[in-house]
Amino acid sequence: MHELSMAQAIVDTVLDAAEKNNATEVVEVTIEVGMLTMLNPEQLKFLLDVITEDTLLENSKIIIEDVPVEIECRNCEFEGLANTDGSDHYLAIVLCPECGERNVEIIKGRECNVKNIKIEKSDEDA
Amino acid sequence: MHKIAEVEVQHDIMVANRKLAKKNQRKLDKESVFAVDVVGAIGSGKTSLIEALIDAMDYRIGVIAGDVISKYDAGRFQQHQVPVVGLNTGKECHLDAHLVEHAIHDLPLAEMDILFIENVGNLICPVDFDLGSHMRMVVISVTEGDDTVEKHPLIFQDADLVVINKVDLADAVGVDSDKMVKDVGEINPEVQVIKTSLKTGTGFEEVVKAIDKFLKDY
Repeated sequence: MHELSMAQAIVDTVLDAAEKNNATEVVEVTIEVGMLTMLNPEQLKFLLDVITEDTLLENSKIIIEDVPVEIECRNCEFEGLANTDGSDHYLAIVLCPECGERNVEIIKGRECNVKNIKIEKSDEDA
Repeated sequence: MHKIAEVEVQHDIMVANRKLAKKNQRKLDKESVFAVDVVGAIGSGKTSLIEALIDAMDYRIGVIAGDVISKYDAGRFQQHQVPVVGLNTGKECHLDAHLVEHAIHDLPLAEMDILFIENVGNLICPVDFDLGSHMRMVVISVTEGDDTVEKHPLIFQDADLVVINKVDLADAVGVDSDKMVKDVGEINPEVQVIKTSLKTGTGFEEVVKAIDKFLKDY
């Protein structure tokens, strides 16, 4: 159940950024979730909705962006988007699209990144 | 009147764990301790395998025993007269670098050559959490079914050694252990796969040699 701990870490990060910027409310949160993480975006979203009650994020819109897998192939030196075997988050097996090898280094696809937030501030702080 | 502002945050939640994992590894390196993260489902035989390795290997061994709530496994390792720290994750489905950092602090690293970290019984969540170990050994058993590898590919993609345990039960449970070996090879062609039975001793010496080789090559 690590969606819950990740959701809590996301909320802490957002609240920290919101407070530093004197937000009166957080309107929108954009999170990037790599396709190679064992996180289910739907579950993550649900838990975020639950644990943001009574916080500055209570009415915020949560946007989760999938991050496709980028690789460097150790076999043919291809750099770029990997072939993922099916698009399911849980089962992405990474292949080099050039040579079909699995001996690849993952450059992107393992992140759970709080990208940006939209906040509301009062005019005095604006 | 209110004003909407956009704030760049760019904070990757996963990075914090990776940084801590690197710190753990530096600490282990400083004390010349080789750490093995042992991952596998509930009942695959992780505890029994580590117990057998403690008895068989000519190294000074310490163990971190990860469990959700109990200290049962930690108690089993203590009977082998090795330093043990039991970790309870509570509601969590994996060990993380932060928990391991505390456990390492409580172990006599200067008196150890190998640290086995028995992860929580789970083939899914540990994928996301590097602990700072030098190798990851995935332990599965034939009793989990011969589609286990296909169903959990990512844990095998990062594995350094795969053990397919309880092969003495393969016929009884109607499982093709060769298929499991083949499936691992398709996901991770580089990794060594060893079929074992701790009951009959099949393959156990190979596991000892494989870990020994990793330690010496490191």
